[in-house]
Amino acid sequence: MESTEPEPSDSRPQEEEEEEEEEEEEDDDGAHPLPEQPLTAMEDCLAKKMEITVSEAEKRTGRNAMNIQETYTAYLIETRAVESQGEGQCAPVESLWRRYSEFELLRNYLSVTYPHIVVPPLPEKRADFVWHKLSADNMDPDFVERRRIGLENFLLRVASHPVLCQDKIFYAFLMQEGGWKEMVNETGFQLKADSRLKALNATFRVKNPDKRFTELKHYSDELQSVISHLLRVRARVADRLYGVYKVHGNYGRVFSEWSAIEKEMGDGLQSAGHHMDVYAASIDDILEEEEHYADQLKEYLFYAEALRAVCRKHELMQYDLEMAAQDLTSKKQQCEELATGTVRTFSLKGMTSKLFGQETPEQREAKIKILEEQIQEGEEQLKSKNLEGRDFVKSAWADIERFKEQKNHDLKEALISYAVMQISMCKKGIQVWTNAKECFSKM
Amino acid sequence: MSGGAAGAPKPLPSSGPKSLREMPHPLATSSSEEMGPALTPSPDLLLPRSIADKDLSLPNGTPVDTSSPASSSSLLNRLQLDDDLDVETRDLFVTVDDPKKHVCTMETYITYRVTTKTTRAEFDLPEYSVRRRYQDFDWLRNKLEESQPTHLIPPLPEKFVVKGVVDRFSEEFVETRRKALDKFLKRITDHPVLSFNEHFSIFLTAKDLNAYKKQGMALLSKMGESVKYVTGGYKLRSRPLEFAAIGDYLDTFSLKLGTIDRIAQRIIKEQLEYLVELREYGPVYSTWGGLEVELSEPLEGVSACIGNCCTALEELSEDMTEDFLPVLREYILYAESMKNVLKKRDQVQAEYEAKLEAVALKREDRPKVPTDVEKCQDRVECFNADLKADMERWQNNKRQDFRQLLMGMADKNIQYYEKCLTAWESIIPLLQDKPETK
Repeated sequence: MESTEPEPSDSRPQEEEEEEEEEEEEDDDGAHPLPEQPLTAMEDCLAKKMEITVSEAEKRTGRNAMNIQETYTAYLIETRAVESQGEGQCAPVESLWRRYSEFELLRNYLSVTYPHIVVPPLPEKRADFVWHKLSADNMDPDFVERRRIGLENFLLRVASHPVLCQDKIFYAFLMQEGGWKEMVNETGFQLKADSRLKALNATFRVKNPDKRFTELKHYSDELQSVISHLLRVRARVADRLYGVYKVHGNYGRVFSEWSAIEKEMGDGLQSAGHHMDVYAASIDDILEEEEHYADQLKEYLFYAEALRAVCRKHELMQYDLEMAAQDLTSKKQQCEELATGTVRTFSLKGMTSKLFGQETPEQREAKIKILEEQIQEGEEQLKSKNLEGRDFVKSAWADIERFKEQKNHDLKEALISYAVMQISMCKKGIQVWTNAKECFSKM
Repeated sequence: MSGGAAGAPKPLPSSGPKSLREMPHPLATSSSEEMGPALTPSPDLLLPRSIADKDLSLPNGTPVDTSSPASSSSLLNRLQLDDDLDVETRDLFVTVDDPKKHVCTMETYITYRVTTKTTRAEFDLPEYSVRRRYQDFDWLRNKLEESQPTHLIPPLPEKFVVKGVVDRFSEEFVETRRKALDKFLKRITDHPVLSFNEHFSIFLTAKDLNAYKKQGMALLSKMGESVKYVTGGYKLRSRPLEFAAIGDYLDTFSLKLGTIDRIAQRIIKEQLEYLVELREYGPVYSTWGGLEVELSEPLEGVSACIGNCCTALEELSEDMTEDFLPVLREYILYAESMKNVLKKRDQVQAEYEAKLEAVALKREDRPKVPTDVEKCQDRVECFNADLKADMERWQNNKRQDFRQLLMGMADKNIQYYEKCLTAWESIIPLLQDKPETK
């Protein structure tokens, strides 16, 4: 099995000269404070050198590969170099348009090229976990807007990754509009993509699984399951909350009608009714804000998949290694049998040769020679596979640790912002009802 | 103008319904300007009804309380608009509490303790404590309607529970009912005429109410006539403007309350559905927390927080169901019974007008109007006066009741949000906490 091992660029963590503890948040969506881990010096990170935004989305029509007319959305990527010694001098903004399928291509390329990296996920392809007010239509402007933000977040994640940010294809994605697709295809990454990986649920027995990866895979499965559940229920909760608020709007109307027949009570009722209308209207903004929280959760739902993919790749690697080792062992055995003439294990060849006569010594010699060559090759391959495996494990674990820190930090921030949203909602509620109470007191 | 000693009632000319300000107070001195709507004569000046009332009676001779314009208690009714009586001037206090379940062979039912404290002369003792069940209250209400047909009798909570799923003996149901029965008796207590009703006194004091009830029934069956005030069958041509206005008001009022009732029910329903989802939502954070290490505490915190919000929401819905809806329904019932009183008034007026017409047609030489027509006229004036006075009192009470009810609703919502706010604010420090480095 001839395979060219892809050499992951910079997979080996370099020793950092200085450890920078950067706690500052960047303005752009998705960037996060750096982990306290020795990795590639963060000054090298692309996100530090360049401002990246996905600033616009536009509907386009065109002809696809099968010459069929289709409508799609194109996104404008804008980049600008950050001047470290900027004195009011702004570098020019460069921009180009990309559509979702190109983002997908980029991500696939990164996944295959850096199998040991937990590659940042793309925003969902189709609207999922929607509650009734949200549209499930891909062309819906709210969906497009949230996708725009998600795509920008994706680019920033990649640009902040110590390894991925250095990739040339990624850089070209940002800077080179024409010919980018061809460039990607020329890397031949699609050949490397193991078709067996596509069968995600296929099981193959690994005799000596790495316990850590097994546990991690299990964790990623559980994480996906729990976040999906959470998102589903949250959507239902949003739906119901919407209902509660909106029904209060009916009070506004009936209080108004009632106030018309009252003398002293009239004013109080009327103005209280107005506050009920305000209350009913307030839910729209509240729930829109909550969607951002849902998007943060979704990102980690998809991140869990990326995590799982790394585990799978390791599993596959381990399996290949075991198969290669097994093959080598059997060849060695065959060689030994031929050399000594003893048949230790049953084989059809052995039987037929016994039945139909032994081979000639020359034939045997030739066979032994071939086998010895193969064994030689096999041993070298096994050695390099082992090395590859160890490298993979080392760099994968480094990135997994980095990912864990990022995840813990981001999710904590998300929970805090969710709590803040709830606090704001409660305060609004108290305000409205206090106002209404005041009106009632004047009845 | 009358000046004078307490004791002797001053008959006033029966000249049709007068505005309250025009009516001189029986105890007023020559300067009548001091009279205001909030005058409250002291208790010992109230006269026993038997002397005060002009005797209007049914054909069978049973006396009927109609509080003619002449009676001082009727005057009192019209003067006392402001129900914010100081506790000191009040001389009758009634409370309903202590519900108890009674299991008998034939049936199971609840009784309530009715406690009375009074300084009124009509009562032999200053304090009474009796036990009454719903049927007894129902009996009282019927008796009041019969004996005081010109007045607005407060409503009782619904007799039967239509929804079917509600447990008649559940704590919540019994408590809701108790509050309504307490309100019912307090409204009667506050009414200057109704509170002196004989049946009411018996209700408050009698050890064996059933015996008294039977007595009343026996009397009736002897006479074989219903105690209806009006002998029916007359149709009113047109309702006077002011009563038509009251009728219209009550119609719209009932309608709006009905709408509010439906909205409130809908809100409670939506809240309970929201609660169902929240109850599933909270625990998922807990499950997630079980998977994590560093995030375990924050996630557990969020889960607990949502749990607290669930509890708060449950309390809000319960409060609305138990305190808000019943009062709305009471007022709808009230409006219904008031419309019936309006109809009775119409009948009284119709009877009068019919008889008057009959007399006019006879073309008698006698200039004097026959006695029974005069009596009808009195009845009409009396009814109108009582009704108007009661309406004004009712409007005032209604305003206060709704003010309290709606403020209460706002309060409960504020409390709900405050509970949730506390819960979420308390976990912020937990979420921001930096874990110890491993």
